[in-house]
Amino acid sequence: MTQIVFNSFLLAMLTVPVVTLVSQRWRKAHAIPAVVLMGSLAVGIAAAAEGFWRGQRFTVDVSQVASFPFALGVDRLSAFFLLLICSVSLPVILFSSSYVTRHYAGARRHWLWVLLPLFLMSMVLVVTASTAFAFLFGWELMTLFSAGLILIDGDSEQRRHNIFVYLLMMHAGAAAVIGAFLLFLPHAGNFAQMRASATSMPPSLRTAVFLLAFVGFGTKAGIVPLHLWLPRAHPIAPSPVSALMSGVMLKTAIYGFVRFAFDFLGGGPSWWGYLVLLAGGVSGLLGVLYAISEHDLKRLLAYHSVENIGIIYLGLGAALVFLANHAPLWAALALTAALLHCLNHAIFKSLLFLGAGAISDAAHTLDLEDLGGLQKRMPLTGVVFLIACCSIVGLPLFSGFVSEWLTFRSFLAASELTNLSAAIVLPLAAGVLALIGGLAAACFAKVYGVAFLGRPRSLEAGIANEVSLPMQAGMGALATACVVIGVFPSLVLRGLGTLTEELIPGAALPQAAASLSGVLPWIALFFLVLVVGIAAFNRAKKLTATWACGLPGLDERMQYTSTAFSKPLRRVFSQVYKADRTLEVVPGDPPYFPTSISYRSVRTTSFEKFLYRPGVDAIVAAALRLRQLQTGNIQIYLLYIFAALIALLMFMRFV
Amino acid sequence: MKLLINAVQVLLLLLLAPLVRGVIARLKARIQNRRGASVWRPYTDLLKLFRKEDLVPDSASFVFRLAPIVLFAATLVVAAFVPLLHGSALLDATGDFVLLVYLLALGRFFLMLGAMDGGSSFGGMGASREALVSTLAEAPFLLALVSAAIAARTGSIAGMVQWTLGQDFFQFSAVHALAFAALALVAIAETGRIPVDNPTTHLELTMIHEAMVLEYSGPSLALIEWASAIKLTVVMALLIALFVPWGMAGSISALAIAVASIVLLLKMAALVLALALVESSVAKLRMYLVPDFLGVASALAILAVVFTALMR
Repeated sequence: MTQIVFNSFLLAMLTVPVVTLVSQRWRKAHAIPAVVLMGSLAVGIAAAAEGFWRGQRFTVDVSQVASFPFALGVDRLSAFFLLLICSVSLPVILFSSSYVTRHYAGARRHWLWVLLPLFLMSMVLVVTASTAFAFLFGWELMTLFSAGLILIDGDSEQRRHNIFVYLLMMHAGAAAVIGAFLLFLPHAGNFAQMRASATSMPPSLRTAVFLLAFVGFGTKAGIVPLHLWLPRAHPIAPSPVSALMSGVMLKTAIYGFVRFAFDFLGGGPSWWGYLVLLAGGVSGLLGVLYAISEHDLKRLLAYHSVENIGIIYLGLGAALVFLANHAPLWAALALTAALLHCLNHAIFKSLLFLGAGAISDAAHTLDLEDLGGLQKRMPLTGVVFLIACCSIVGLPLFSGFVSEWLTFRSFLAASELTNLSAAIVLPLAAGVLALIGGLAAACFAKVYGVAFLGRPRSLEAGIANEVSLPMQAGMGALATACVVIGVFPSLVLRGLGTLTEELIPGAALPQAAASLSGVLPWIALFFLVLVVGIAAFNRAKKLTATWACGLPGLDERMQYTSTAFSKPLRRVFSQVYKADRTLEVVPGDPPYFPTSISYRSVRTTSFEKFLYRPGVDAIVAAALRLRQLQTGNIQIYLLYIFAALIALLMFMRFV
Repeated sequence: MKLLINAVQVLLLLLLAPLVRGVIARLKARIQNRRGASVWRPYTDLLKLFRKEDLVPDSASFVFRLAPIVLFAATLVVAAFVPLLHGSALLDATGDFVLLVYLLALGRFFLMLGAMDGGSSFGGMGASREALVSTLAEAPFLLALVSAAIAARTGSIAGMVQWTLGQDFFQFSAVHALAFAALALVAIAETGRIPVDNPTTHLELTMIHEAMVLEYSGPSLALIEWASAIKLTVVMALLIALFVPWGMAGSISALAIAVASIVLLLKMAALVLALALVESSVAKLRMYLVPDFLGVASALAILAVVFTALMR
């Protein structure tokens, strides 16, 4: 039965581009592709839910019909990520059904509705593939379709450069992933064979597989220092596409890494875990620090994806350390934390990007310095954005807290290990996670406070209007999910517990996870009673002007700006930023009144300067050197061919 | 019966918090050779504020009025995790110390938003500075609690207190001194006392908390003031419960509870006196020296965690 549901989901997804192309003939049919796509995603949710909670397995094997090894197979891990993709995409598509119509017309709109389902389909392919071929096929398509979706918003020089960086890094990452698969030869056919052969592999080969998977999937996930493409590519895509890229696409990389590190390899030596922990900690801290200094909303959100991927990697790293120390119980807890954070991040990050879309739709800008006072103009968008902010910061009663708490809990459990280094490193990692959380709180107090509260800082923000109903509904659904997971975490935790039991033999989700699930609903109830009670008691209010020290003329420019808000933190962490500042003052007469002042502050991250720049320079220098071979003289070319022929003959003769 | 004691503990924290503030203010005044206001003054202040009308800036949204309520509710829930007279708490769950730290963060987050909703420079200034202090205080806060949790081999605050009660004071691990020092420094930052913040200042160069609440009045201000009084008392009670809980009632009998109340009173009095002395003798730090102050706290907390792990 579920097999039929799954098959019809795949078929339905494939029909959407066709439907788009057919329906573009009718003028009024622009809602049809969105409706068909949402319908097929709903079918996908049904299939994935069966797989995730009931453990149903389904397969689609093309290799029996055609002669190439293309097969899909959904186990619990795949089903979880399939559920994540479908259930987060559905509200995003609902949002898009109105957003796309308002912002795109003609060919661009049709391209969007053709590429969006194909992009979703490629992600589905990645998480359901059961052969290397199908996985890599989906992996490459995912990159290409997302690049196509970014191009829909225009192809100026700057954008093309950003997309070039994106494609370049994705292909470098894909090369590493392909390498990881190739090392399984001759068993690289399907996943079951790979799993079986991994146990008999020599340790050096296992390490090579792990490192290739770490780098390959890390590039896609955007861990520091492989994150360079992320803040370039995500902000320039249409907002719903940014939501899907940041919220959903990054998770396919986590899926791949979990598949390799836990399912195929089943963990390894401790240093694997420490490496992942280090990557997670560095990504988390640098991601949030770079985010704080941004005032373009979408770039800021993109850097927060780096941060959250860091938090996920902290959980994965802890799980690997626990596995190496033969503590499957705690490994399961850490892995559960990481997977739950995947789901939570998918939900609240999509919501934040949709919120950014709603802001740009209503106020026509994403620069925080031009926003303000939107809460009163856009009540629902404001509330759902606030919920998303609370979730990403990890405040109690919102979803992000549950996964961060589980991560903390697993770090604390390390004190029960006999291995001393693990017992010291993991509890200290809790401090790193707390610092990341604190910085994220500062950042999102800035985002919400500057964009939604106070007075509008530009004319357009002052006349912004609430967005259309489908956009509100899409965001509202995601916000509801944030609160439900935050208050009743056991809804998801139970399924995840079974999943980690399958991945890590001998593990069951410890009782520790349940203790929180018992407390949270009561705290939520207490908050609800108190908030409603006090609000009802304290209803009288009197509107007055804001206190301006008794002077008239308080205006919106006197409010703290986003840059001003983050200045103290930027100053404390100035070693991280190292901005290049140039200040030119042309003195006037008298010199106290300069005729012109120009100030420029450029921040190129140290990674670009010290890690990538030398590499790029070396490649360009080598290319220039090689260019001397290309003289344009045909006789010289003939000489090359002749020399190559002689060399080949010699080679064949002597080898 | 235990439930009743636990509920009484929360009520005590709720009701006695303004008194603690009053006593500190009075003590400070005496040390500075002033007469000072009555120790009951915070209560009359709260009463007065609750009777006044709530003035709301015309630019503000619903967040402005929601913020004080969330802050108050979060602080009250935090109070339910801390044992006071008996070695148990109303709310008790493994890993609840993380929840405690994050509930305080929840209240602070909303207060920062409420401050920014006023639309003046003061609110933003206060929120920005609060963001700096609280960001840097969160890691040492959590690490100090982590080291206490590792030592006690339990994840709940009530559990840690129970474990410490079973220890002999004179053989009590020296590592706890490190954790205690870290937590004490964090407590000063967290509750906005001198030398991190001055709760009585109204000079924009030095305001943090006061700048945030500048726009508030009436019942909303009363909730904020009450919440910060509770927070101060709860943090002091947390220090006592984690590091010097001896004297708490082991069993639930009238005598044990009476003894526990007197012992608690003495310990609180000692802490209050220490705080008043520090506040009267130390100048407020420059803004950009606060990170160094919290850096010391972080270093102490890290050492505490490392040594606890070593000495398991």
